Amino acid sequence: MNPQLRVLIALQDILLLLRDARDPGQKRVLGKMGLKINKLETLESTKADLERQLSPSILSQYRRAIQRHGRIVAPVIKSVCCQCFVRIPSAIDSAEDRNTSLYRCENCGMYLYWVDK
Amino acid sequence: MKLSEIIIPKRINLNLKSTTKDGVLEELVKLLNLDTHARETVLRTLLAREELGSTGIGKGVAIPHCRSLVVSKVAVAVGRSKAGVSFKSIDKKKAFLFVLIVAPPVGDPPGDYLIALGTVAQGARLLTKDKRFKKIRDIRQFMKLIKELEE
Repeated sequence: MNPQLRVLIALQDILLLLRDARDPGQKRVLGKMGLKINKLETLESTKADLERQLSPSILSQYRRAIQRHGRIVAPVIKSVCCQCFVRIPSAIDSAEDRNTSLYRCENCGMYLYWVDK
Repeated sequence: MKLSEIIIPKRINLNLKSTTKDGVLEELVKLLNLDTHARETVLRTLLAREELGSTGIGKGVAIPHCRSLVVSKVAVAVGRSKAGVSFKSIDKKKAFLFVLIVAPPVGDPPGDYLIALGTVAQGARLLTKDKRFKKIRDIRQFMKLIKELEE
């Protein structure tokens, strides 16, 4: 997998974890199951460590995309970008270097990750 | 949603070898049959989740869980450790049954994910409470016991 894509995916997973952890409704439901959530500051430092691994240009794209859409990578499932639900052109969708090169959705600009490669 | 409906026999390991939390997580993630990079990503997110608070819910049960971009649908793996593993559970006792849940990020609010977590929490506690749980020798017996407890 492309190293920058790997960092972006890890960051997006961490952001999702942070969002879920801060959601009062979810926190209440998880609490009832015996799943406690605290120490959010440790996640913030993991996030900062990952951000430092991004190249300056991807870091600025990441910051803009997170502010605007809350994410920067969209999964591709069955040839469809799961951010905008537009079909990926077949030349890209069938490329040998999917996930090893960086591809962006021509419609929404998200970086693409083929889940079931 | 029933526990027996979300557990796939090929994703069950009744003889976990690890004696540490990180080792158990690694063994469970392996059961999901992901590629190396996806496996590393899921493991990293699970460890980050554990930093927020242990997913050991007591009564010998731990439910490590996270949402990750690398899966396209809810994936569940089950492990049993005969000796038990210290998982920093809320009751401070060892965990014997581990149910890993990894869900995709799509779906907000994460309905299926939370329903799966609730189903697992309820079903897993019933399982560890049953005297037959530690004596189970194979996956067929394990699935049979789950179905019996669901009735």
